[in-house]
Amino acid sequence: MELYDKIVNSFKGITSIKEKVKDDLTTNESVSSALAAELVLISTLLIAAIMFRHINIILTIVVVLGLALILITNMPLIPKLIKEQSDSLEKMMFYVILTLGILITIIYWGTI
Amino acid sequence: MNELIALMVIIPIACALLLNLFHKKDNTVKIIAIVVAIVLPLIPILANFGLHYFGGHAPLITNPSLLEKVPETIANSSLAIFHPAVTYSYEAIQKVFIFFLGIVAFFAIFTSLSQNKKISGVLMFLMFMGTAAVTALLLSDDIFHMYIFFEIAALTQVGIILTSKTDNNYETAFKYLILGAIGAPMLLVGIGFVLGIVGSVNITDIVYAISQNLVYPFSHSLLIAFGLIFFGWLYVSGLPPFHTIKANVYSQALPNAAALLQVFTVITFIAFGITIFRIFSYLPFFKTLVLIFALLAMILGITMAIMQTDFRKMIGFLAVGELGYIGLGFGLGTELSITAGLFQGINEIIVTALLFIGFGTVLYLTKTSDTRKLGGMIEHTPKLAIMILIGGLAMAGVPPLNGFQSKLMIVQAALDSGFPEIAIIAVLISIVTFMVFVKAFHSIYLKPKPNNLKVLNKPVPNSSIIAITVLLILCIVLGLFPQLVTDSISQFAMGLI
Amino acid sequence: MIDTASIMNILADTQLLSLFTSAAFIIVGLYGAIFLDNIIKKIIGIAFIEEGANLFILTLGYKQGGVIPIFLPGMNAEWFAANSAYPLPQALVLTTIVIGASVLAVMLAIAMVLYKKHGTLSASEIFGDKKIISRNKNSTSKNRGSNNFDDVGDANE
Repeated sequence: MELYDKIVNSFKGITSIKEKVKDDLTTNESVSSALAAELVLISTLLIAAIMFRHINIILTIVVVLGLALILITNMPLIPKLIKEQSDSLEKMMFYVILTLGILITIIYWGTI
Repeated sequence: MNELIALMVIIPIACALLLNLFHKKDNTVKIIAIVVAIVLPLIPILANFGLHYFGGHAPLITNPSLLEKVPETIANSSLAIFHPAVTYSYEAIQKVFIFFLGIVAFFAIFTSLSQNKKISGVLMFLMFMGTAAVTALLLSDDIFHMYIFFEIAALTQVGIILTSKTDNNYETAFKYLILGAIGAPMLLVGIGFVLGIVGSVNITDIVYAISQNLVYPFSHSLLIAFGLIFFGWLYVSGLPPFHTIKANVYSQALPNAAALLQVFTVITFIAFGITIFRIFSYLPFFKTLVLIFALLAMILGITMAIMQTDFRKMIGFLAVGELGYIGLGFGLGTELSITAGLFQGINEIIVTALLFIGFGTVLYLTKTSDTRKLGGMIEHTPKLAIMILIGGLAMAGVPPLNGFQSKLMIVQAALDSGFPEIAIIAVLISIVTFMVFVKAFHSIYLKPKPNNLKVLNKPVPNSSIIAITVLLILCIVLGLFPQLVTDSISQFAMGLI
Repeated sequence: MIDTASIMNILADTQLLSLFTSAAFIIVGLYGAIFLDNIIKKIIGIAFIEEGANLFILTLGYKQGGVIPIFLPGMNAEWFAANSAYPLPQALVLTTIVIGASVLAVMLAIAMVLYKKHGTLSASEIFGDKKIISRNKNSTSKNRGSNNFDDVGDANE
């Protein structure tokens, strides 16, 4: 029963996408494009995750299932994504520095 | 006539300086700008392939009389084959790219001359300067020289945003400069590391030194140089995390100028991409890194593009997303994939310019770019609408247009190199690209016209129509005869691997 | 026993001290550009990053006990080749200084325009989410009106 409720709530979460992004989206068209973006994001990320099979099969299964779980339980992803990619200087700066840090860390210490 | 190679850069720079002097003398500016803009695509056709050494400083080994005079320790070392001066190399690939750059630059300059009431020598100066800078990027065989010209191109991009009178142009320009001031010095420090290790900034020399084991290829200094230069590449080409600011930059410029700005970005991306590929592709994780960022660019670009309501931002994010396809070409790293990626680059130059100029006519007629306030424009410009529709189909990859050919090649290359997942993602993204375009097209042209939309009662300028027609013809020709450019590109790609 | 003076001597003899300085410049500059709110201070931070990168490249040309890389008549070519410092970084740094200066000039010009438009130098107020209630509506619109090509020309020349 609990699981059923959870799934129903998750779907309600999708249909409430309109309220969550109502700053911009008011028409049918925009809601449908938000849904499309949502589906594209989830499906492409999952398909891209399958590429881990070149490293390890079991790892792939774990990663894909885990990713699917995370993505679906956080369902309206697009409002969050758009909020993170706004053109405010602090957000952009944060991601730029984060990328620089991760890139240098991986390249410098990842290959010893 | 190897002098023409250097003239490809010098002519636009000289013209830019002249136009700046003649600012406010409208007719002079107009004539000089048009003449030079016509000359730009012609020079690459006339020039011969070859190398140009600035100051005539060829490598020692090509000059036996000088070689005898230097001490033997130098004459017998690899120093004898190093390039002492800035070298431009002009091959078939540069010819193709400079030709298409010249075409788009011509139309961008032509349309903005005929549409703006006030002819601005300054805007013309910036456009020519940017064109010269990216031409130099393509030709140069010197990584430091590329950095310098990239900085010039970045400054002209900022200038081009400032000349538009949109609401937030100064803020966007400042943000771009701040982010650039973090990205560009990192690139410079990376180049510094390479200089410190190899002792030369000439790319051919660096590749020679690494491949002949003159330096240890996996030394930590080279690794950190790769990291910094790669980060610089993300900045210069607007891959994530720089995609947001790049799309903003496009949307803040006038549409004619934005058509040129996206060409600058694509060519910078390709020039630096080729450089990084030549120097660092021996690193085992190189291809993985490029693939990750290319896929990120595609996914983030397209999801952001769907959600936009301003059509200039929509095309801006689409243009950023399409860059991911070129990145896939470099990331897969086979001959076919690199050919496909570079071909996609050419197609993107043409198609995005077409869309920017095409939708620019809507902005010209209605003074708004908000799709929620637009509608029913097809009754004003029916023929133009159909031409833009075909352009959009080309971007989405519908046969027999050029986008189809290059995307098909990328999908094939992905399948050949054992990554069917990438092929699926590429197809998926191009479907959604089509959806974004249809959404924009519907809300601008097909939706019922809002009552409060005021449309200027004058025809679309002829210059725009001519530009769109020519670009559309190029789309169709390249779609039917892709071997016109792919032959020279695949020749180059073979040499790259 | 290690005394600080000898350590300083070692650092100065090898190019280490200079390299540390350039790293410090870059780190201080990054701190300034990221965390400080005032846009003029951000620009100063950016100038620090650029100078750090320039100093780094300049340091690469150092050669312990080397001579100035000018070939005078009567010099032994072999000796000169073995002992002269590396001249290329100096030439490169000259170019980057010019480029850096022009970037700074454009940034300062834009900062001036932003100050006129918003009446403040705080980055969070200029770029932030809180929309600026412009202090004086008339002056804002006047400024927008004057943003024509001539102003831009001044900023870029």
